[in-house]
Amino acid sequence: GIPVRTTLDNSTTIQYAGLLHQLTMKARRTVRYLDPQNDLTFLRIRSKKHEIMVAPDKEYLLIVIQNPSE
Amino acid sequence: GTRGAGGGTSSDRDPRSPEMFADGTAPGADVESLWRSARSSCCEAKSCQTGKISTSESAVQSRTSRDVSVQTDQSKAAVPDFQQEVQVDYTSLLSFLQRVEDAVIKELNKNWKSHAFDGFEVKWTDQNETVSCLHTLSYPEAQEQNLQVTSVSWSATGSVLACSYGRLDSGDWSTEKSYVCTWNLDRRGLNPERPDLVVDVPSSVMCLAFHPSQPSLIAGGLFSGELVVWDTSRTEDPVLWRTGMTDDTHTDPVYQVTWVPGAEHGKRCRLLSVSTDGKILVWREERGGRLALAKGFAVVAQQVPRSMWLKKFDWGEAAVGVTSLSFSHFDPRVFVVGVEGGYSLKCSSAAETPARCGMSSSVPLRAPAEFTFSPHGGPVYSVSCSPFHRRVLRGGQALTVNLFLSCGTDGQVHLHSMLQPQPLISLQLSKKYLFCVRWSPVRPLVFAAASGEGDVHLFDFQKSSQKPALTLKQAAGERPVYCLEFNLRHTQLLAAGDAAGVVRVWQLSSDFTEQGPREMHHLEQLASEITD
Repeated sequence: GIPVRTTLDNSTTIQYAGLLHQLTMKARRTVRYLDPQNDLTFLRIRSKKHEIMVAPDKEYLLIVIQNPSE
Repeated sequence: GTRGAGGGTSSDRDPRSPEMFADGTAPGADVESLWRSARSSCCEAKSCQTGKISTSESAVQSRTSRDVSVQTDQSKAAVPDFQQEVQVDYTSLLSFLQRVEDAVIKELNKNWKSHAFDGFEVKWTDQNETVSCLHTLSYPEAQEQNLQVTSVSWSATGSVLACSYGRLDSGDWSTEKSYVCTWNLDRRGLNPERPDLVVDVPSSVMCLAFHPSQPSLIAGGLFSGELVVWDTSRTEDPVLWRTGMTDDTHTDPVYQVTWVPGAEHGKRCRLLSVSTDGKILVWREERGGRLALAKGFAVVAQQVPRSMWLKKFDWGEAAVGVTSLSFSHFDPRVFVVGVEGGYSLKCSSAAETPARCGMSSSVPLRAPAEFTFSPHGGPVYSVSCSPFHRRVLRGGQALTVNLFLSCGTDGQVHLHSMLQPQPLISLQLSKKYLFCVRWSPVRPLVFAAASGEGDVHLFDFQKSSQKPALTLKQAAGERPVYCLEFNLRHTQLLAAGDAAGVVRVWQLSSDFTEQGPREMHHLEQLASEITD
């Protein structure tokens, strides 16, 4: 994916955009394969250090990275 | 024809007749010149020497071109991506954002309040539950001479462990020879009582340090004040460089030797040595296997920044014996030294003030001390700067939190922040001396300390801030543990050497090697308990 707007630095943004685009496509294919009537609405990846949230769309992808408090 | 007067001779005439020889002029004979007219009339193009050149447009030298690859770096090529905003349709982008906005904000809020993942941790690797002693290494010949392990060091690759034998309690005179032994722990058929390499050293080796990138170089500091660098790949004579005994050499035993990265990028590492004669010297390699002085610092009591604890002692120009040194991980010019007087000093290698000491030196010595921390109840034997640091915002100012540990003969470990003189935390870990303290390279809240009772204490601030998380009994019968080092490559290994001449390699359990999710935050909290 080509970054359009970002609040992070360039190199990190490009990394996230490329990797998450591929992962989102794979997630979408998985959902539709399991049930062709279904489709992906939202993707959340939780890691040790933070949570990545992806809102997909036909043309765009919104990626938000949050540090959950606990 | 010519009608010569006497041309025609007739035989019947009288030769003496004058009509035969009459003067006459003959008109000149005219020959018309042909060359000029011939030239113009007879000239015709018969043939040319150069053949006729027939030309036709059949090929052009410049071919069609196509961009195959760009030589410039990724970053330069990526910038156009941002500038290609012509491809973005802002209205559709706006409608997309409006569509997803609610959903994303809802998720963000849910996440922030969620307890779903509290205490949930995934174990990706096999968990190692216990701490065990992997190897017990020794050199019997050194043990027979009652030599102690004075220092251990791991190689750059993490597979070779070197230890130095000497004596730490020998007093002022020591003419005993000592040994430097190395074992390759990854080798099959490792014999714990037979080191792979043994180097005989004429004087007692007090400290060792492997080169940070060349796995075969080890530097050692001797009781005589000299420094030697050995190359373990050489079979005949492993000595590569030495300082020898010159005016520049330390006059007291060298207690710590470290490799410092070269000032400029790509420059070789230099050796730094610390001794109780108060000098901190940086050496560079010279031809002929000599080490020459490149830079030097001297810690003089008069030039140590005054604080309320030091007013009592006025040693004037007396040298302050330096026993240990640790470089800060975030500013390569800042280092912390521990001194015999019991306090630690924050120093800078960029200091310019000349040292007011009576010591002669080929390179001018400078006074590096900038800040004094509150003292221990006895000499400091070891300092260690935390490899983890963070920028915190305090009162609108961004500070780099840098913590370090110091331990000494009072059996206490002090956790200091470089921003204030009093320690953040003081822990009494031993009734005897504490000889060495080291931060864990992977867990920001863990450190290890070697005690005079023969224990290796592993402390974890996350579990408890008063007592050690784990105490390993290194040697039976209260023989002190003098040195310990974490393996930076295989972070579950910890090597410790004791007075019985034995080096033990401990394998730590997973909770000492895996960083928890909130550790950095906890460390920050610890560091920010700074009294204003």
